[in-house]
Amino acid sequence: MDHSTLVFASVFPVLSLSHTTPTPVATPILGYTALGSSFGSPYTGKNIEGQGQEHRAVKRGQAWSCATRFLSLPKDTSILPRLHRTRDVEEALSYLLIGEGRSEDGKEDSLVEWYTNECRLHFANHVRPDLEQMWRAEVQLQHAWDLLGETLRVFEQVQTVYLEPFHEHILPFVQQGASASTLRPSKPTQIIEADLADATNWKFRTDIHAVFAHCLPGQRYSNTLSYVLYDAGCRLFRIYIQQDGLQPSSTPEVTADCRKRMTALLVGLERVGLGGDNAQKAFAHATNKLLDSFITSHYLKVDWYSKQSIVPHLRAWIQKGFCPLVELVLECLRCEQSSILPTEVASWQEMGLNRLGRARVDNLFDFVMNWDKSLGAVLDIKEYLKVAGAKQNLTSSFSQQISRRLLHPGATTTYVLNVYILIIRSFHVLEPKGVLLERVARPIRRYLKEREDTARIIISSLLTDLSDDTGTKFSSNSELSFEIASEMAKPFANFGQEADDELNYGDMNWQPLPQDASPEYKKSKVEDVIWFLLTLWEREDFINELKNIYGDHLLRCQDPEYEKEIRLLELIKVRLGDDKLQACEVMLRDVLDSKRINASIRATTTSTLPAFQTPDSRTRGPQTPEAFQLRTPRPRRPGASASKTATSTASPTPPPDTTLNAQILSSFFWPSLRDDTFRVPLQIDQLQKEYESRFERIKGMRKLCWMNALGEGSITLEFDDRTEDFDHLTPWQVSVVYAFQPQPGEEHIAKKKGKGGEGISRNVDQLEEMLEMDESLVRQALAFWVGKSVLREISPSTYTVIESLPRKSSQLQADEDAAAAAEELAAVQAAQTTTVKSQMDVLNEKKDVYAAFIMGMLTNQGNMPASRIAMMMRMMVQGGFPFGVEEVKGLLTDMEGSGKVIGLGGDVWGVKK
Amino acid sequence: MALSSNVRGNNANATVAQRLQKELMDLMLHPTPGVSAFPSDENMSTWTATIEGPDNTPYSDLTFKLTFDFPANYPYAPPVVLFKTPVYHPNVDFSGRICLDILKDKWSAVYNIGTVLLSLQSLLGEPNNSSPLNGQAAELWDKDPAEYKRLVLARHKAPEELDG
Repeated sequence: MDHSTLVFASVFPVLSLSHTTPTPVATPILGYTALGSSFGSPYTGKNIEGQGQEHRAVKRGQAWSCATRFLSLPKDTSILPRLHRTRDVEEALSYLLIGEGRSEDGKEDSLVEWYTNECRLHFANHVRPDLEQMWRAEVQLQHAWDLLGETLRVFEQVQTVYLEPFHEHILPFVQQGASASTLRPSKPTQIIEADLADATNWKFRTDIHAVFAHCLPGQRYSNTLSYVLYDAGCRLFRIYIQQDGLQPSSTPEVTADCRKRMTALLVGLERVGLGGDNAQKAFAHATNKLLDSFITSHYLKVDWYSKQSIVPHLRAWIQKGFCPLVELVLECLRCEQSSILPTEVASWQEMGLNRLGRARVDNLFDFVMNWDKSLGAVLDIKEYLKVAGAKQNLTSSFSQQISRRLLHPGATTTYVLNVYILIIRSFHVLEPKGVLLERVARPIRRYLKEREDTARIIISSLLTDLSDDTGTKFSSNSELSFEIASEMAKPFANFGQEADDELNYGDMNWQPLPQDASPEYKKSKVEDVIWFLLTLWEREDFINELKNIYGDHLLRCQDPEYEKEIRLLELIKVRLGDDKLQACEVMLRDVLDSKRINASIRATTTSTLPAFQTPDSRTRGPQTPEAFQLRTPRPRRPGASASKTATSTASPTPPPDTTLNAQILSSFFWPSLRDDTFRVPLQIDQLQKEYESRFERIKGMRKLCWMNALGEGSITLEFDDRTEDFDHLTPWQVSVVYAFQPQPGEEHIAKKKGKGGEGISRNVDQLEEMLEMDESLVRQALAFWVGKSVLREISPSTYTVIESLPRKSSQLQADEDAAAAAEELAAVQAAQTTTVKSQMDVLNEKKDVYAAFIMGMLTNQGNMPASRIAMMMRMMVQGGFPFGVEEVKGLLTDMEGSGKVIGLGGDVWGVKK
Repeated sequence: MALSSNVRGNNANATVAQRLQKELMDLMLHPTPGVSAFPSDENMSTWTATIEGPDNTPYSDLTFKLTFDFPANYPYAPPVVLFKTPVYHPNVDFSGRICLDILKDKWSAVYNIGTVLLSLQSLLGEPNNSSPLNGQAAELWDKDPAEYKRLVLARHKAPEELDG
């Protein structure tokens, strides 16, 4: 007994501590003479009852002392003392437990209570310190099993020590008393008495268990137990999880051993009172975690090979693996309900599916990226969608993934498009009705609309031929999307009856829209990627863009049959309606007609005109273009009735003499095209005139207007020491190099060879004048030819023909360097050159119209700020006003310069009076 | 049903807007000196127009503002045209209403904003005095050109004054 207890007991008498005194009351108080009665008088008989009380107290004190001494516990619990009751003890016990010394109404200590207390004290003094030591620190996971085992061992030992005397020396008396009292007739009491022994037993155990349970840190204990159960589950199901750097046991234990170990532990814990609610809660945690682990385990990895859903596995596991485990544990913990209802199994399966689905949805973006191989995962998610709330989760989670991983400036438009196509495909499998797709794709579609190059990439990809050099064209940052091109290659079914299905009463397959569909939802019956892409924009916008790209493509097209172009147009017509694509049809017809016209004109040309021959004198310098190809669409109307314009293009088979093929384009229907004017080489000019006259003969009244900038040519250059062929040249490149042909009166320069093998030299100004060409075009062409080692810049802006390649290495090196640099420059410039006009060109061209708009606006609406003008322009100008406030300000400043408007300050403008 | 009728309504509006947009484009591409018009808002159904008084008339050097209000079945019905600038004229009343046959029963779908404006401009110089809205003006037109001119100037307000 420690000091503090003694101190406490000295102040507050704790009766149960008093067993140490052999005779608790050394001299029994026999009572005092009552006031008024004579001491020792014979009439004290009145007090016989009181005296009886006093005698009982003495007797009880003696019996107490005897019994408690007998029952007091040894310090060392490891040796179980075998006590034999002596007669004294027997009497004392009997007296105290069932005899007169039994505490009646809780006024006195009962022996059972004392013993309980004794056990408590013993536990507190001898056992608890060790246990507390064991549980003080955070439990290491790898020690959890051992710790629990050790704790269990201690508890079991202590419990045996405590229970042994109780069972042997106390319970028999209680039972005896109970059975004795059963003789009494009254029935209700009989039952109570019969239960008394059990109740005593139960109470004692509960008390002991409470002491046990109390000495362990509750949270830590249940965590540990939970981990142990979880670990057991993992081992049983062979789920190996790398956890906190803990290595999974390399040799898998035999499942049966593991099960036995767990069962033994649980049964033991239940026996020492550590089961119950706490253990059940711990087990609940463990199962929760086990389910999660199972879902992330190798068992439920995405099936990349057979591309099957693994949901059936999950269901089977829950039914055949998980449920039996739960049943086993519940049995060990002696729960009231040890069998599992089928509804519970179903709800667990649903729970498992929910978790699996969430885990899959978290990676949905990756699955989409690996679409086709990830079919298994998508099928899992498809199962998951049946769970309540799954769709919302999927939508929000996937939208987040998209905005984080896809819709950022770092992703090229091609990439976004490709991913979008993958999303379309995978979501079609996921949910054929397309409601989810519509929902998750909305941000992508909005984003794609914002990108300027989307339409161009889509249309040019649609026009790309898959069959030729596929590998090189479709790198991730290229302008072409392989996915779109391959979609295009697929045959398309006959669909697109855009008739209003809702009003078709004869439709026997009619189904209501999905209830979760948004108002914009449109049924798409077919998994048609191109449909999704073509509906990205408003029809009008798309068609405008299509017109530009289609026109450009037709002009560049090499295929004389225009197969792909025809197919594309048909395809788009099916999707967007025939009526809107009239312009494209006219464009296509133009190029097809041109072929026919070319053929008929050439037929007449060859019969009537002798082949055009280069004069023999021009043997040096660039030779006559052998096959000059020029195409030039022209949107100008020379006469009231003439709506046709012309271009020239080359025939694919170059005849020995120069040929000219034209493309005749109806200016009204084509987008505005480049119309730089410059002089073409003389031969070409003659050919053009010839062509023109013949054309006018065939198509009476129609006039041709040549658009020299749009052609394409092939030439052969003959130098002193070499001959080189060039194909696919732009007309201005041809014209510029042709300008290096010696002019009449210049032959002597050509004959006098420069020491570096140089021929005729010209400077930029001369060329501009000779060709009536823009300086930028001249320089561009010069850079191109320098890049081809045809020209050399001998002094700033002055170029000369390299008639013979230098032999001196230094000169060669310099040429090569210059050529490399120039080639790069030329490549960059070429990339910027398109047949269709750039925005800036459009602005300059339409300046007058825009100025008229602004004037009209300011005249009628009064003074306005520039921003409002820009806004009005965007709304009012037919065909769109693709410019911002800055351009409007530029226009206004120009107009102010010409005295039409006046800035009133504060960015407000008005008409100048 | 509500939906479909709505759609039809939109279509009608779209047609009108298209036609008006085309007219706007024509006006901008081929501006006529002395007349000008421009939509007041994005739906294009109301326009503001400006005409200058023809030379050699009492209205020369004056600028008049008008509003055009286009019905949903334009161009099969005439626009409602009102003078915003107060104008003293036999065929215009004091609230700016105009009596002109082509804006009433003689309207035809081939007319457009430009032609209406030119007609109005010529109406200023050549009033139809046989059916006047403003009898006093009709009388004075022939009798007392000087008084007429005075009344015209007295009634006229510059656009800037109107804006205030």
